[in-house]
Amino acid sequence: MTLKRIGQQEIVLGIFVVLFVAFALFLPGFATTANMLTLLQNVAVLGILGLAMALVVIGRGIDISLIAALAVPPGLVLQMVQDGHSLPVSIAAALALALVFGLLNGWLIAYAEVPSLFTTLATGLFLAGLGQAALFKLDVVQWSEGMSGFERLGQGSLLGIPTPIIAFALVCVVVALLLRQTRIGAYIYAIGDNPFGARVTGIPSRPIIVLQYVLAALIGCFAGLVLASSVNSMPTRIFNSTMIYDVILVVVLGGIGLSGGRGGVFNVIIGTLLIGTMLNGMTIMDVSYSGQNLIKGVILLIAVIIDSFLNPRNEETAQQGDI
Amino acid sequence: MTENVVEFRKATKLYAGVPAIEGVDFQLRRGEIHALVGENGAGKSTLTKALSGVVTLTSGQLFVDGVEVSPKTPLEARHLGIAMVFQENSLVPTMTVAQNLFLGQEHFYNRLRGIYIAAQQFLQSLNFDVPPTTTVGLLGAAKKQMVEIARAVLHKAKVIIFDEPTATLTPEEKAYFFDLVRDLKKRGVSVIFISHALEEALLLADRITVLRDGKHVVTDDVANFDRAKIVQAMVGRDLSNTLYGTRKSTVRSAGERILSVQNLKMAPMVKNNSLSVFAGQITGVFGLVGAGRTETFKIVSGVLKRDFFHGGEVLLRGRPVRYRVPAPAVKAGVAYVTEDRKVEGFFETMSIARNVYLGLLAKFPGGRFILSNRESQQTGDNWISRLKVRAISPKAKVVELSGGNQQKVVIAKSLTQEPDLIIFDEPTRGVDVGAIVEIHELINRLADEGKAVVVISSYLPEILALSDRILVSRQGKVVEEFSALDATEEKIMYAAIH
Repeated sequence: MTLKRIGQQEIVLGIFVVLFVAFALFLPGFATTANMLTLLQNVAVLGILGLAMALVVIGRGIDISLIAALAVPPGLVLQMVQDGHSLPVSIAAALALALVFGLLNGWLIAYAEVPSLFTTLATGLFLAGLGQAALFKLDVVQWSEGMSGFERLGQGSLLGIPTPIIAFALVCVVVALLLRQTRIGAYIYAIGDNPFGARVTGIPSRPIIVLQYVLAALIGCFAGLVLASSVNSMPTRIFNSTMIYDVILVVVLGGIGLSGGRGGVFNVIIGTLLIGTMLNGMTIMDVSYSGQNLIKGVILLIAVIIDSFLNPRNEETAQQGDI
Repeated sequence: MTENVVEFRKATKLYAGVPAIEGVDFQLRRGEIHALVGENGAGKSTLTKALSGVVTLTSGQLFVDGVEVSPKTPLEARHLGIAMVFQENSLVPTMTVAQNLFLGQEHFYNRLRGIYIAAQQFLQSLNFDVPPTTTVGLLGAAKKQMVEIARAVLHKAKVIIFDEPTATLTPEEKAYFFDLVRDLKKRGVSVIFISHALEEALLLADRITVLRDGKHVVTDDVANFDRAKIVQAMVGRDLSNTLYGTRKSTVRSAGERILSVQNLKMAPMVKNNSLSVFAGQITGVFGLVGAGRTETFKIVSGVLKRDFFHGGEVLLRGRPVRYRVPAPAVKAGVAYVTEDRKVEGFFETMSIARNVYLGLLAKFPGGRFILSNRESQQTGDNWISRLKVRAISPKAKVVELSGGNQQKVVIAKSLTQEPDLIIFDEPTRGVDVGAIVEIHELINRLADEGKAVVVISSYLPEILALSDRILVSRQGKVVEEFSALDATEEKIMYAAIH
């Protein structure tokens, strides 16, 4: 029992420390200030997405459409500003888009009872297609004059700490408070632990599930704004990348069981640190893109296998189509 | 050939250092029906799991036909001639009976006509009335069990283990099942029969073994046992009088009419059902499996939805209500304590306190956006002492508790919502004898406090011991009502059987 208590998250933390020290000692260019900033910035966006995913996974779902929520609403901000709208109006429009998108996901999953994996697979594709077909003129939406000042969200710093890190920390605190200290958090864990039990207890399961996907979409949108402002553009083709695997990797490797009801923000943080360090190290070592995918694939596979050993699915409350 | 087809010597199985069975000696004779009884956690399941290859013994020996063996997988056990019949979940529901029978033994070219003919002949030779071309998912519980038994016989099993085989069967089906088991015995098959229903063990078995706390207590011919003696051996104290024995001499009078159900319909289980429930008394609802009792009360509490058109009416304190989810029903003071606590009851990764606290939050969210750990703790402590939940600490996870204590947690979760109408669906299923008494006392106390209490049970002694008023349900509606004073087992059963 005590062995299990030090379990997965401590192991992952240990691996992270070992990896970080090894890279710092043996990899020239890793332990430089410039590289640390790149690493932290990449980690920040991934971490924010990981938090969004964690909210959903703890409630026994999965949100594959997060990358679409990351790319399209922030892309809309850049596009609208380019077209001459004011920044606040554009941001409001993007948040409204993310909100509607989250509501759509949540409604389909909670009320129409379509399994979350298939729902978000389809809605993500739909939103990305909508963005590319109807909203954006180019695949990479460029920064324009009207956006000036906003890049500080991605490139500024506060007390020497880059703002993306602060943004990540902020979302961490908000999500941690939500999960651990509020009624909604308790409901999310209850639904993830036993959805039928939660329902019979009188917990408003369906509104809570909708809320999870709305929050995920909004957090995803926020991550997108951080990303766009740090690279001064919104490369909407990011939807076609393998980023969603990184996000799932962060969540699973960090120790949030895919069977629901387990884990928390701390797991996302350590998962993020490990994946961030690994990706950064591989880039410096000049591992090819395909090589990186291979390594990530193997690690994700191992993580999922370990997860299904440590957190076995409860056969009795499992539903068909569950992840 | 030895006399004993199966023999355990000093069998011990440790789970994380804790013995589930300890030094158990057990012999199964050729061609006998051997009942294995004991409270939950007595080690019955572990012993049979060791025999059927699901777990391996930590120490001790297992002999099959006098040869020492140690099956490590169910397949190895099957090759030794040992089959375990699970309730119904080892069949593939979308396949036909014949396909299920021959599953895993198909020829490379799997000719359906061939297996249908073979299955037909085989089932007829067993005198089983199951059409081989039917899809298993469409069969009732009893027929599914027949298919399971047929498969075990087809695999040339020498020993068949039944774990709680009669839990889902109606009395008629039970009688038929007993005949099947006796027929197996005639074929020289040895049967191990695990059951909570002591009458069944007394009726069916040749010998009975009682286990308690992982240890062997007694094995003897059935003639040397009676109900009280078994119960005494199971718990080590005489509970037979307090448990189900006493009949009521007085009944509580009806208070306000809390619930009135009129012409309720939900295809195909509930047909034109009408009934009333009053405050301050216990309304027992008896019926055979498939009588629509659970469904009716799940509709009342919003767990299920009734038919949209001509669905009938549910009146709560005279006001028509229609709940599509349980949440508004909970808010209105209706609590449904499920018959299946693992699926609809507790949250297994959470503590006792958090389980109960979630019930409180669901009913009285009030201004609580931020949770209070102190309130959670207090709620937990309060209910643990009120319901005498036995756990190491309130922080213990519910999954680690025994069946009876889990049931108490589920009940506490509902009672903390201060309901006016409490529906207990099979409140003592899978609950150990000691906890049954405590749960029954609790149910009586609730009625004394003036709550409207409904107890759904398939167990006649439980209905008779608890109810002030007895409703008998048959084929989707209530067909008869008795006062507890003039109800007898015969009268109730007569009304319940179609």
